[in-house]
Amino acid sequence: MTATPSVTMAPTAPIAVISERRRAWRAFARNRSAVVGLMLVILIILVAVFAPVLAPHNPLTQSVPNRLEGPSRDYLLGRDAYGRDVLSRIIYGTRIALQVGIFSVLLGGFAGTAIGVVAGYFGGKTEAVLMRLVDVLLAFPDLIMGLLVMAVLGPGLGKLILAIAFTMIPRFARIAYGQTLVLKEREFVEASHALGQRTGVILYRHIAPNIAGELVVLASLWTASAIRLEASLSFIGLGVPPPTPTWGQMIREGTVYLSSLPLLSLAPGVALLLTVFAFNLVGDGLRDVLDPRSGK
Amino acid sequence: MTHRRTRTISFLSVILLALTAIGPLFGSVSAQDDRPVLVHATNSGDKATFDPHLASGTQDRTVVDMVFNGLLRFKPGDASVIEADLATEVPEPVAEADGTQSWTFALRTDATCHASSATEAYPLTADDVVFSLQKSANSDTSGVAGDYAGFEFVKVDDATVKVVVPTPLGPAVFLPKFANYGGGYIICQQAYEALGADGFANEPIGTGPFKFSSYTPQTSTTLVANDDYFRGAPKLGGVEVRYIADNTARDLGLESGELDVINGLPEAQYVERINQAGNQIADVFGVGEAVWLNLDITNEYLQDPLVREAIILAVSRENHLALAGEPVAQGIFSIVPTGIVPGALTQEEAQAAEVDFSQDIERANELMAEAGYADGFSLTLVTSEQAAYQTQYTVLQEELAQIGIDVELEVVQHAVMHEQIRAGSNAITIYIAYRPSADTYLTQFFTSTGGSTNFSQFQLDDQVAAARAETDAEAQIEAWQQLNIEILQNFAGFGLLYTNQVYVRQPNVDYGHELISVPQLYPGYNETTTITE
Repeated sequence: MTATPSVTMAPTAPIAVISERRRAWRAFARNRSAVVGLMLVILIILVAVFAPVLAPHNPLTQSVPNRLEGPSRDYLLGRDAYGRDVLSRIIYGTRIALQVGIFSVLLGGFAGTAIGVVAGYFGGKTEAVLMRLVDVLLAFPDLIMGLLVMAVLGPGLGKLILAIAFTMIPRFARIAYGQTLVLKEREFVEASHALGQRTGVILYRHIAPNIAGELVVLASLWTASAIRLEASLSFIGLGVPPPTPTWGQMIREGTVYLSSLPLLSLAPGVALLLTVFAFNLVGDGLRDVLDPRSGK
Repeated sequence: MTHRRTRTISFLSVILLALTAIGPLFGSVSAQDDRPVLVHATNSGDKATFDPHLASGTQDRTVVDMVFNGLLRFKPGDASVIEADLATEVPEPVAEADGTQSWTFALRTDATCHASSATEAYPLTADDVVFSLQKSANSDTSGVAGDYAGFEFVKVDDATVKVVVPTPLGPAVFLPKFANYGGGYIICQQAYEALGADGFANEPIGTGPFKFSSYTPQTSTTLVANDDYFRGAPKLGGVEVRYIADNTARDLGLESGELDVINGLPEAQYVERINQAGNQIADVFGVGEAVWLNLDITNEYLQDPLVREAIILAVSRENHLALAGEPVAQGIFSIVPTGIVPGALTQEEAQAAEVDFSQDIERANELMAEAGYADGFSLTLVTSEQAAYQTQYTVLQEELAQIGIDVELEVVQHAVMHEQIRAGSNAITIYIAYRPSADTYLTQFFTSTGGSTNFSQFQLDDQVAAARAETDAEAQIEAWQQLNIEILQNFAGFGLLYTNQVYVRQPNVDYGHELISVPQLYPGYNETTTITE
């Protein structure tokens, strides 16, 4: 009897299927700066959402006889020129900063991406017209462009978001245009063409998702720019009209008392700095993970 | 070798001579003149007009005051005294047989009109004075025409002008109209006619201690010394008025030594801080500018007296007063400011007349509901970039929010605000102004002759005219007080406070006079002002 050699199969090790998303998250989590940035952004969002709970006082309530009081137990950052609580105003100012930062980038992102993708995909006269228009818009510095649009639209939160979104359009359009030019030559796009898919479907299903990664990275970085631009416009009096608290407006109002009560300008300045810093850290982290050309 | 050296020396000499010759082409006014140039920063971003009869902003009044003279003048630094200026003496009234009254001004003969880009310098005569006064009395060419309604200006000879007043006036009403303020400034006829109204608004030509030299929009106006000035050549070589709306920029300019005098922040804490630091001197002086509310009785919402009463009851005078604090500000209890000119109400008098309204939000809300505005309404109000206006409006905004009135504030340049409120943009206008008499306040702001400055549209034409014609000083004051009560009873206006002037200077600036009260709302620069070493 011959023994049949038994064939013992080595136990198969479970193949680790790591999704692309998870890989990206792991890479992001390994980047300490990015994690710090993300935690800060989450914290800032929480402050904005829970502002009514966190703010110790109503940010609009004046107490003029107690104006320009320094920090105290009840008013940790003191009171402004109208006797309003500086800390509460900073907390509520977070809402405006985030609303403007996020919505203007979303709005500008959608419009700019659409322009860039259409121009890149169709080429010819469409490209010439749309991209020259974008070039004209790019020629204006953001602040000047924001200022022009605000001067035409007038003050108000919605108009401020629109104005800043307008400054974001050419940036997104340029990136989307370049990416589309590359993608439209790729095989999978040509295959879609050959299969008779409609142009809209190709743009929506094949082009847009493939340029989304880079745009998301840039969007996070440009959110910081949008917040800075909002503060700049508010500083020069073209932002959300008073008495709504905005950091730029608080910095400006505080400059009058810079030598006697620097906290009035410094405190909202630090809030602005931290927010911009946080979004930049997150943006850098996302770029490292999502942008293959970043070299990391 | 010697020959070569001689040639080099000759060559260098020629270069030096050439440089000496062309040097003045590149020199500034101060470089040609040993006298210092005073650099003054005003709190507005730009000028509006240099026509003295139209100038209403402090930045314009400052320039105008140095270029023009009046027949009379407020004593430099003390507005309580009126003395002769282009006139040789202060006139006395003469009752005429036809019931009118006349005042005769004898003119000095050594006053000279400055040269302009279109005219040479020439001696000022009665023709210029009559032309100027007629222009002041014409509402097409003057913002203060109402002050001279019915007045007749007659040239007696080259050096004498007679003013005929339809109804007799007391000196307290008459004399300030001919002093160096508003319509009292005398312009030069030939220059005005040669330059035209628009040209004159950019190139003011008068007889004052300083001559207009240049204006750079949104930057500065330069004046140079008028060495032919009838009181003698100024000690300063000139004055540069810079337009710097930002308070911090002005402060920094002063600290760096670039500026000599700045319009300071009208706040007690600011004054205290500057004077404690000791590097510069903050002066607080009169005249106090009244701050009051004008409620447009023709406005869609405010035409209802209940709404106007609610607005006044929503306002806390103490809040508005606290923005500046004492001694910079004091409360006033009528439109004519208490403690500044006769004819105002004291707090006791206002209380006795039951028009000393205190903040009562509950009652104000009841009135709003009674008027059918329980849910409130919205208003857009225009305010100036100047802190003095903007802060008052911001406090008002919060006060009105408590009775459901949602105020959107539109911040514009100071000159633009003046234009827009005159065009009727504001249902509620906060106005800040000094006027030299109760009659001027009431005429300009509460009669139809006030025209575009009758912000409330509440008109007391006959009553103001009657009070003006009252020759008994006590009875006249009583009449003015009664008009103040009427304004308050109709909720057409509400006095808040008056603010004194705050200017900060380098310690080496010598104004040449004491600072008690200056109606032109700046320290007052003339031939005696100087900067010491």
